[in-house]
Amino acid sequence: MKLKNYLIMIVVLTFVFLAACSAGSDEASGSGDGEKEISFIHWRGEDKEVFDELITKFEEENPDITVEMTIYPSEQYQSTAQTQIRDGEVGDVFTSFPGAQFKIMDKAGLMEDLSGEGFLDNFNKDLIEAGQKDGKQFAVPYQLVFNQPVYNKGLFEELGIEPPNDWEGFLAMNEKLKENGYTPIAFPGADIGAGQLMNSMMMNNAPDEEIFTKLENGETKLTDEWWVKTLTQFKELADKDYFQKDSLGTKHDGAIALMAQEKAGMLASGSYAMASIKEQNPDMELGLLAPITVSADEAEYEGIHTTTFMLAVNSNSDSKPEAKKFIEFLSQKENAEKYANETGQHLTVNDLEYESEELKSTAHWMEKNTRFHPRYLISSADIQKAVEASIQAVIGGQDPEQAAKEAQQVVDQFVE
Amino acid sequence: MKAGKSIYLFLIPGLILYLMFFIYPTLSALFYSFTNWDGLTADFDFVGMANYVEIFTKDSIFKKAFVNNLEFMLFVVIFQTLFSLVFALMLTKNSTASIFLRALYFFPTILSSVSVAFIWTYMYDPNLGLINKLLDLANLEFLTMNWIGDGDIAIYSISAVQVWFHTGQMLIIFVAGLQGIPKDLYEVAKMEGANKWQTFRKVTWPLVAPAATIVVAYTTIQSFKAFDLIFAMTRGGPNYSTEILATLIYNTAFRSYRFGYASAESVIFMIVIAIITFTQMRLLRSRA
Amino acid sequence: MDKLGKRTMLLVYALIIIVPMLTVIFSTLKTTSEMYANPIGLPETLNIENYIQIFNETSMGTYFKNSVIVTIVSVFFTLFFASLIAYAITRMSPWKGGIVFGLFTIGMMVPAQVNMIPLYSLIYSLDLTNTLSGLMIVNISVTLPVAVFILTGFMKTIPKELFEACTIDGANNWQVYRRIAIPLSLPSLSATAIFLFVMHWNDLLYPLLFITKDEYKTLPLALLEFQGQYMTNYPMLFTGVMIASAPMIIAYIFLQRYFIAGMTAGSVKG
Repeated sequence: MKLKNYLIMIVVLTFVFLAACSAGSDEASGSGDGEKEISFIHWRGEDKEVFDELITKFEEENPDITVEMTIYPSEQYQSTAQTQIRDGEVGDVFTSFPGAQFKIMDKAGLMEDLSGEGFLDNFNKDLIEAGQKDGKQFAVPYQLVFNQPVYNKGLFEELGIEPPNDWEGFLAMNEKLKENGYTPIAFPGADIGAGQLMNSMMMNNAPDEEIFTKLENGETKLTDEWWVKTLTQFKELADKDYFQKDSLGTKHDGAIALMAQEKAGMLASGSYAMASIKEQNPDMELGLLAPITVSADEAEYEGIHTTTFMLAVNSNSDSKPEAKKFIEFLSQKENAEKYANETGQHLTVNDLEYESEELKSTAHWMEKNTRFHPRYLISSADIQKAVEASIQAVIGGQDPEQAAKEAQQVVDQFVE
Repeated sequence: MKAGKSIYLFLIPGLILYLMFFIYPTLSALFYSFTNWDGLTADFDFVGMANYVEIFTKDSIFKKAFVNNLEFMLFVVIFQTLFSLVFALMLTKNSTASIFLRALYFFPTILSSVSVAFIWTYMYDPNLGLINKLLDLANLEFLTMNWIGDGDIAIYSISAVQVWFHTGQMLIIFVAGLQGIPKDLYEVAKMEGANKWQTFRKVTWPLVAPAATIVVAYTTIQSFKAFDLIFAMTRGGPNYSTEILATLIYNTAFRSYRFGYASAESVIFMIVIAIITFTQMRLLRSRA
Repeated sequence: MDKLGKRTMLLVYALIIIVPMLTVIFSTLKTTSEMYANPIGLPETLNIENYIQIFNETSMGTYFKNSVIVTIVSVFFTLFFASLIAYAITRMSPWKGGIVFGLFTIGMMVPAQVNMIPLYSLIYSLDLTNTLSGLMIVNISVTLPVAVFILTGFMKTIPKELFEACTIDGANNWQVYRRIAIPLSLPSLSATAIFLFVMHWNDLLYPLLFITKDEYKTLPLALLEFQGQYMTNYPMLFTGVMIASAPMIIAYIFLQRYFIAGMTAGSVKG
C-alpha cells in the first residue's frame, strides 16, 4: 500500500468513527413518526409497579407521547442525577430531593420555571414551598413524608407500651423491648439510617429551624451543646444495644426485613417504609413515633415531615410541553389517589381520599406540630455528609465531643 | 538505514487520540486546579494557589483519605507480595498440580471489580454473610465482626479483598522470575552446606529481586487505583473510614460539584504516586 | 517447611478462592431464603428462574451487546494504533524514537482519577456522552501508553537487519510493517490483546462517567446499578455476576496459558 492509500485509510477510519458517533446520537433522540418520547427518572424502586400502570394510562390518554421510566438507587441518585439530567438526554421529567440537591440543580439551571402552570392549583400551596426559589416554582414536591421511626403497634400493645413523650420514657421503652428479647430499633446504618434518625433526634435539642443555616454561616457550631447532646444520645442508644448488632453494616432493606419479621420494635427510617413492611407482613399494624430527646415540657416538636420527590421539568429538554403534561397527569385527583393508596404515601395534592390503612392511621400526623426535615436545610453536600458521618462515628464507639470536633473541621472548611 | 519521512504518518492516529483525550485532559486538570470551577456553569475565576492551600491547611477529609490510602497500600503491598512470593516458591515446578493451582489462584484476576465487590459484600455481610456464619459454626463467635460496617477495620477488610483479587497475578510474575534461576546455583549452594534460609537469602532473593521490584511497584499503583472496589463496596463509608484519594476526588467532583478543587486534589494525587513509585524503584534497585 | 504444612497452606488458599466462587455459582440457582438457610450447599433443584427473571427485568442482552462491541473495537484499535507507533519508534532515529516513547510511557504514571474531570467535560462538549463511540475513543486513548510500552519492548528485539533487508528490496514502511513487524510480533500482540480485553471488559469508571442511558450501559455499570434494584437479594446479584463474567470464564478455561501470559505481560510492563 502506498502513502496515498494510507492517508485514505485514516480518512476512512475517521469516517467510521464519526458515523458511529452520529449513529449513537440518532438513536438517542429516537423520535419517529410524530411520537414524542419523554424520559422520567426517579429513585423510588418500590413504586415501579404503580408507575408502570400510571404510565400506561397516561400513554392511552396521550397516544402521541411515550414515557420511558428509569429508576436509580436513591444513594446513587443523589450523587449522579445532576450530571445525567444536564445532558438533556434523560429526565425530561425528573425528581429532586429538597436541600443540597435542589440547590445544585438550581445553580446549574436544570429546572424549568413552572410558576403559573395550571396544575399548581392541584397542590396544597403550603406544602410545595420546598420547590421554590426567589418566588419561582422550579419543582413541585409530590410526597409528604414523615421521617421518623415506624413502630409495630401490635407488639407495643402486647407489651403495654405507649409511645413516650420524653427521653426517660424513650429509654425505658427501649429497655422493655430489649428485656423481652426484641431489637428495640432496627437501624439501617449502612445507608440512610443516620440521615433519617438525626432529624427527630435533634428536632428538640435544637428547636431553632434555622439552625443549619446558622451552622453554615458560622453562627453556631457542631461542637455546641445541641449537636453534642444529640450525638451523646445516639451513643447512648448504641451503647445500650438498642440498635441491632452490626447496625452500621445493615442496609435499609435489611432493617425492613428485621421489622417485618417482628424481630424489631421500631424501624429508624420513615413513613415511606411502611408499604414495604406491609408487603412482607400484611398482618402487621404500624404507627409512627418520634424520639423526644428532652423532657415533656421542653418538647416543641412532635415529629418530622418532608415534602420531597419534587417533580421538575428539565430545562434542556426538547419535549417540555409533554413533560408538563405528565406532571399535570400525576397531579390529577384520580391518579394521585391511586399512587398514594398503592404506595402508602401521603401526597401534597389537594383533597385526596386516603383508603389504605396505614395512610389513614398516620393521617393525624398532618395535624401535629411537625418540623421540616432539618437535614434538607443543609445546603452543602459536604457538610451534610460530615454531619451524618459524626453519627456513624459515635455509633462506632467514638467519643461524641471528638466526633463533633471532627465534623466541625469539615464545616470550618466551608465557612468563610 | 533510515525509514524515511513516511514513518511519521504511523504516529498520527494514535498520537491524535492520545494528545486529545489523555494529555490535554491531564494538563487541563493542572489548569483547573487553579480555578474555582464548579463543573456545572461555564464561568470560573482564577484563585491561584487557594485550592492547594485549602487542601493542606483546612481539609481534614483529604488528610483522612490520604492516611487511609497509605494504610491500604501498606497492607496490600505487604500481604500481596508476601503471599505471592511464598506461593510462588511452592509452585515453581511445572508439575500438573502446581500448574492447576497457579491457574486457580490466578482466576480472580479476570473478574471485574464490581463482581468481586458483590461477592465480598456478601461474604462480609454481618447477618447473612458466609464469614460470620462459618465462624458461628466453628464456635468462634467472638471473632464475628461487622467487617465493612465497622470503621476501625473496614479498610483492612477491603485490603484483604484486593489481596485476594490480585495475589494470583503477582504469583505468576514471581514464578517467571524463579524459573529463570539456573538449577546449578542451588546445587552449588547445597554443596557448600547452605541451609534453606541462606539459600533463599544468597541465591533466590538476589535473582528474584527484579521480579519483586515489578510486583511491589505494580501493587502500589494498583492499590492507589482501587476505586472500583471501594466505590462498589462502601463508597468511602462509614464515617470516611474507607475513603481513599480516588473516591474522594470522584465525590468532590460529582457530588459536591467542586471541579476546580477536585482537580487540585488529583494533581496532588499524581505527585504522591510519582514520588512513591520513584522512591520504591530506587530502594529496590539498590537492594538488588 | 515440611510437606504437610506446605500442602495445608496451598489447600487453604485454594479453598479461599473456591468457596466464594462456588457460593456464587450455586446461589444463582437458589431462592433468597434457600441461600440464607444454606449458603454453601448444592441447590436443591436446578432452578434457572433467576436467570430468566434477570433477562426479563433488565436489558441484560443490550448490556452484553454493548460490552462486546466496546471491548472488541477498543482492543482492536488500541492494538492497531499502538503497533503502528511501536513500529515507528523502532524505525525512527533513537533520539526521536526515545522522545515519542517517553511521551507515551509517562502516561502510564497518570491515574485515571487525575484527568477524569476534564475528560468528562471534553466528552460532554463533543456531545459524546451516552455514545458507545465516546467510550471507545477514551478506552483507546487511555490504554495506548501501556500497549505502546509492551509492543515497543517487543519490536525492539526484532533484528533491525530484517527491516532493512526488506526496505532495500523496495518495500515501503507500510509493507514492512505488515509483512515483517506484525507477523513477528504476534506473540506480544496476543498477550497485549488479552490484557486489554480483560481491562476493557471489566472497566467501570468510564461508563460510570459517560453513560447514563440504559441502552448504552455496559455490564459492569449495569451490574453496579443492580445493587439499587435488587439490594441484598444476593442470588439475583450473583446471577448478574455470572452472566457478566461468563465470557471471561469460558475464555479463561480454554485459553488459560495465554491469559496468564497476557495479564502478566501487562503488569510486568504496566
